[in-house]
Amino acid sequence: MGFVFRTIVFGLQAGAIYALVALGIALVYKATGILNFAQGEFGTVAAYVGFMVLAGGVSAEATDSKGRLVLATIVAVLVGAVLGVLVNVVVIRRLASASPVTSLVATAAVTTLLASVQVIIFEARARRFPRYVDGGFELPIANVNVSWHTIAILVVLGGVAASLAVFFRTPYGIALLATAQEPFAAELQGVPVGLMRTIAWAGAGALGALGGMLGAGVFANLQPGLMTGSFLIPAFTGAVLGGIGSLVGSAVGGLVVGLTVALANQVVRTLDLDIPGPPQIAVLAVLLGVLLVRPSGLLGNRV
Amino acid sequence: MLASSGRFVPSPQGRIARFGVLGLLIVLVLAMPQLIPEVYTNILSRAAVYAVVALSMNILVGYTGQVSLGHSAFLGVGAFASGYTITELHLPFLFGFLVAALTGALAAVLLGLVALRLAGLYLALVTIAYGQFAQETIFNIREITGGGAGMGAARPELLRDNARYAYFCFLIVALVLAFDWRLTATRAGRAIQALRDDERVAASWGIDIARYKLLAFVASGVLCGIAGAMFASIEEIVSPQDFGFSLSLTFLLMTVVGGAGNRWGVAQGGILFAVLPTLLERAHENFHVFPFTLIRATWEPAIAAVLLLLTLIFYPGGIAQQQAHLLRWLSFGPFKGEHHDEKPRGGAVGARP
Repeated sequence: MGFVFRTIVFGLQAGAIYALVALGIALVYKATGILNFAQGEFGTVAAYVGFMVLAGGVSAEATDSKGRLVLATIVAVLVGAVLGVLVNVVVIRRLASASPVTSLVATAAVTTLLASVQVIIFEARARRFPRYVDGGFELPIANVNVSWHTIAILVVLGGVAASLAVFFRTPYGIALLATAQEPFAAELQGVPVGLMRTIAWAGAGALGALGGMLGAGVFANLQPGLMTGSFLIPAFTGAVLGGIGSLVGSAVGGLVVGLTVALANQVVRTLDLDIPGPPQIAVLAVLLGVLLVRPSGLLGNRV
Repeated sequence: MLASSGRFVPSPQGRIARFGVLGLLIVLVLAMPQLIPEVYTNILSRAAVYAVVALSMNILVGYTGQVSLGHSAFLGVGAFASGYTITELHLPFLFGFLVAALTGALAAVLLGLVALRLAGLYLALVTIAYGQFAQETIFNIREITGGGAGMGAARPELLRDNARYAYFCFLIVALVLAFDWRLTATRAGRAIQALRDDERVAASWGIDIARYKLLAFVASGVLCGIAGAMFASIEEIVSPQDFGFSLSLTFLLMTVVGGAGNRWGVAQGGILFAVLPTLLERAHENFHVFPFTLIRATWEPAIAAVLLLLTLIFYPGGIAQQQAHLLRWLSFGPFKGEHHDEKPRGGAVGARP
């Protein structure tokens, strides 16, 4: 029993952040058909802006004031949204006529740029970063400590998924879906396609910012390239696993990747096996297993 | 000047000029190992490795329209296979290349089988997971790769000298370019490119999609395996840390920046990415005037990223698009052709699954 609960707790801890990042990736993909490699760094940059609000500068220490943290989150989310729009206007829109792989590469270049600017401004060292709720509680059956921070992430994830689900029922949401499925027809129906795409990028930036603020809290540390290095690839894997065309699917996929990694690590630890890279084996196996049976992911529909 | 067939034929003077420029370029390349300081000779070998990797990527990204973000796995497989053959099996140096080419092909065919079922970005993501699996699991099996300590890959006596090894690598690049040229000129090459444009149309012409897709993966894997063997013997030691995801991403970057679909463009893209870090460093050390004073160690990645973005924004077709006129002229065509803008080619990652 303890084994199962430990796996679930560790899996959800990482998986919830994967899911948040995966939601942002899926949002951009749905609206524009672009695989956004900059999604992680939207989060790290926004978290650094949040850090500046908390610390009141570049080189000071972050305060533990929770009121300040709320203010920092609001600023970070706004900055994340602006960053998303900027990337769309400055880079992605200009590549509209190029092949999608060019856009993918361009977002990867944006990631390099953002990460190296962080190093230039904040130096390549870790900064202490506060959590929204400190401490945790002991799960009685499993002998495992659950931090309140994990619960907070899951709550945010649920809230975000619910509000996105509601959004896609509104006229704006439907216009966004129309943009994604058939831009030309949507344009004929009077949908401002360019604006809808900008909204999707803004949403992805804001989501990334939330992920960044919560992700930095996971390690209680913030360092350059954090969200890309620790969360981006699992998040991508999750998005594809769950079905990148479906927002709920992407979130579920992120959680599944988290659980898979945790399970692989727990099995190897419990049985004391000497296998290099258990998470990588498990993730590849699950990804292949799911995609070979359902090529558009767990919850994805064939478009 | 147009010949009776309607094809452009350069004038005798034009012919001489083209031969002259091509000859000069070849002489310049051959003189490189003598011209630059000896500490940098190995960077030339590395540039050759990257050029071969770029040509390998090009077969998938440029010709077939499949995106690979796991090529570091093929490079690693080739490198370790060569190291194992030379160091553990005590076989001659060139056997290492043979085994590397075969294992590279094997590794690529496994991925190709997946590609038969998945397309576009779904495949791209599987290649990432494949690359990570190769790095963390396969390359850490101590018995075949030496684990963290690494695997030796000593050069034979004849190639002990770094400059000689660089010439050896140049020779391989020339052979690979010739292979690539023949590949695109054959029926198989045309079939592969037809897959990129539209699989269904290709199938309706009687092209066996599965067979040619696998063939493209095999060709790409063989080239990348050979590149791995070249790579292994530059430093004469290989370790698992050399083959991370960022290397795979660099490979995709250099292919796109070079201009997917154009062999001369992607080869230059590879060379550029191999030498750029050293070039920026040297520029900063030697020129104390305005733009170069901006370069500091921490600024290098940012500068490289901005250059990359500017290139992509203004020339989505990459280096091949920038040099379209020049490349056409050098291949005995007119300088200004009827195709004024080479359209960027390749890449089907956005194709909806």
